[in-house]
Amino acid sequence: MRPHLLALGAIVVVGLLAVAGVHDAVLLDLLFTLLLYAVLGQSWNWISGYAGNISFGHAIFFGCGAYAAALCVTHGLSPWLAFGLGALVAAALALVTGFPTLALRGHYFSIATIAVAALIDAFVRVSPWLGKANGFELPIAPGWANLQFAQKGPYVVLALALFALVQLATIGLERSRLGYYLRALRANHAAAASVGIDERRWKLIAFAWSAVMASAAGVLYAQYNLFVDPPSTIALAISIDIALIGVVGGIGTLWGPAVGALVYVVLAKGVALKFGGAGKGYDLVIYGAIICLIAALRPRGIVGTVVDAIRRRRGATA
Amino acid sequence: MTALLRVRGLAKRFGSVRALDGVDLDVEAGKLTGLIGPNGAGKSTAFSCIAGAERPSAGSVLFRDAEIGGMAYHRVARLGIGRTYQIVQTFADMTVLEAVTTGALLRHPQVADATARAEEILGFVGLAEKRHRLGRALTIADKKRLEVARALATEPALLLLDEVMAGLTPAECRDAVGLLRRILARGITVLMVEHVMEVLMPIADHVVVIAAGKTIFSGTAAEAVRDPQVIEAYLGSPIAEAAS
Amino acid sequence: MEALTTFAQLLASGLLTGLVFALVAVGLTLVYGVMDVVNFAHGEFLMLAMYAALGLALVGIGPLLGLPLVAIALFLFGIVVYRLFVRRLLAGPPEATVFGTFGLLVLLQGIAQAVFSSDFLSAPRPPFQGTIRFAGLAVSQATVVEGIGALLLTAGLYAFVEYTETGRAMRAVAEDRIAATLMGIDVQRINGLAFGMGAACVGAAGALLMLSYPVYPTAGASFALTAFVVVALGGFGSIQGALVGALLVGMLEVFGGYYLSPELKMVPVFLAYLVVVLLRPQGLLGRR
Repeated sequence: MRPHLLALGAIVVVGLLAVAGVHDAVLLDLLFTLLLYAVLGQSWNWISGYAGNISFGHAIFFGCGAYAAALCVTHGLSPWLAFGLGALVAAALALVTGFPTLALRGHYFSIATIAVAALIDAFVRVSPWLGKANGFELPIAPGWANLQFAQKGPYVVLALALFALVQLATIGLERSRLGYYLRALRANHAAAASVGIDERRWKLIAFAWSAVMASAAGVLYAQYNLFVDPPSTIALAISIDIALIGVVGGIGTLWGPAVGALVYVVLAKGVALKFGGAGKGYDLVIYGAIICLIAALRPRGIVGTVVDAIRRRRGATA
Repeated sequence: MTALLRVRGLAKRFGSVRALDGVDLDVEAGKLTGLIGPNGAGKSTAFSCIAGAERPSAGSVLFRDAEIGGMAYHRVARLGIGRTYQIVQTFADMTVLEAVTTGALLRHPQVADATARAEEILGFVGLAEKRHRLGRALTIADKKRLEVARALATEPALLLLDEVMAGLTPAECRDAVGLLRRILARGITVLMVEHVMEVLMPIADHVVVIAAGKTIFSGTAAEAVRDPQVIEAYLGSPIAEAAS
Repeated sequence: MEALTTFAQLLASGLLTGLVFALVAVGLTLVYGVMDVVNFAHGEFLMLAMYAALGLALVGIGPLLGLPLVAIALFLFGIVVYRLFVRRLLAGPPEATVFGTFGLLVLLQGIAQAVFSSDFLSAPRPPFQGTIRFAGLAVSQATVVEGIGALLLTAGLYAFVEYTETGRAMRAVAEDRIAATLMGIDVQRINGLAFGMGAACVGAAGALLMLSYPVYPTAGASFALTAFVVVALGGFGSIQGALVGALLVGMLEVFGGYYLSPELKMVPVFLAYLVVVLLRPQGLLGRR
């Protein structure tokens, strides 16, 4: 545990130094995106990595936070409220999706996540109070009370804080009853039941926390971007990005999502430079090919492969 | 004298196949009861129905006079029944200590407490030196020991053992019998399924024999080998050799 | 009286829609039944088949003539995908088949977008564009042809699995992989064959669907989503179940679209999925 805390501390210090020293808006934007995606990847990792139930609709939880923020701000309420509101809605959605499916074989859950995501997308697009397909432009009023800033620096600090919080929670998860139970369930659900583990209960807890984390990232995103609509928050494309980050980094590992987010940001930037942004399919070709290759050759992702190699070396010397 | 576990008229059908068709058995508190029978008699199915892994089609399973037949698997464990698997079921990428800690978390929700409890149990079963090995990297005998440790960690009143001796060398069997005696000395009741009766003879207080899904005998091991029905059921199989 | 006619019309549309869903779902359930894999890229196989059928139509080969060609092409494609990719997933952790086939979905959609762009394309001058009127009801000829195709395909697949030697081997693999190996069945070959046949089914489906649907890179995705629900409702692995589930989903969607709103037609379908999965996870006709 000690080395993980040290690594996290180092990342926070470097991040704060970057905010103090860097004034390049493009770089800060990249940093913010990186941290936000690392949080989303970790959120996905709780249910899909540690618990082993692959979610294909994770963007809807991100969307819960983003829309909660948009609704609060456009109704004259404090966006800080959106953290609570978004979390409640996200957790409720997670419970409804997970309750029937989480005690069954994995694909029931995965199908339900696609289905619920498609439903929410359709629902938002016909609901006037959710801005239909047009979404919301958030009115600008900088200040800590409004969670809006003229510069990018404070946003990066907030994203850094959220990232640190989520990583701390995950370190805690690995050392908690929930963490042990999820690993046991993923390894062998029958043997897990034989030692008294209620699969549905513990996986629902993990899924609800996962949804809450993604929602918090959504609130920050809305306040940063000041524009929220279905394609930028709840669309399948966002869910694909989140799953890609989780898979590439290494499912069920503490640092996998952060590594995955780094790979993703570099990749997305590269694709945009080379092919001029999304919509032409080249990004999907590359992301899809990467997911396929990882699944077929290195299903434990980058961090999982490294951890296995270290373990093997230690096992050989011990 | 009351039985800790009382099974009456237990039946289980898979489609049109009657795997169990009237199993009765009593397990007395503090004793070791053996459940034996020839191949395909339904021992494992009976075992699964008692442990909660399968839902019985008919009959009752009373544990401490409360019905547990058809109860959710994890709840049976919570009531105080621990089990091992005939085909060992490890938590693949957990170390020995982590796997046993997972079991101990049932009664000790804090990981630190559960780990301390797990360390103690590993000492008890003789796996302490191997606690940082991965479960999948153990020998068969040690894997079986790990399963017993994991089940003991849930602090059961009744321990169900499914062919823990199968595949062990004679020396490993002697170790296992020693472990069983120590488990009984702790006041834990044991119900043990075995295919080979020889193994049970010296340690079982009571033996139940099932054949073709029915209970055909209940009594001491010494009486069992002289019972004509039992001999008939086992004709040509190890018990006949053991009896002669 | 008018309400009754509307109801009968909805019923007829629902049945025909359901048959179209069955067309897509049977291949999915076959693959799951044999090798326990939910192919999340099933809809993208369908999309490829639709582009293939469109290509044939452009060179003058109509959908009915083109159907066997597309089916054979998809069969070979399925076997290649199994050999190169899916068999590796089966060797990994259980989650790998889920996110691996999802990666294939993303890849195939991306390729289609890059090659064909996101435009909606329809077959030129497709046959069967008339309307059949009967007892005050109106149904399009194309959906009737698709419905007949669905029934033939389902019946054919069922007969194949039940009555042929290969079908028996598939059932043996589905029942118990290890026992099948001991019986001398080449499990890899059977798996590859089943995966190829699952793809051939969407090959046939894609050719028929070009009668009444346009093709675009995500055309398969919405069909596949419905197919997942259909297969879960009917029972994963059950071919008859897929037909029953498809008819049910067709009804739910048509009635939902009429009484709620067209955009929300999927709401009752997904609610049915959650309810069935909660109360009867093995599906309506599935075995435990």
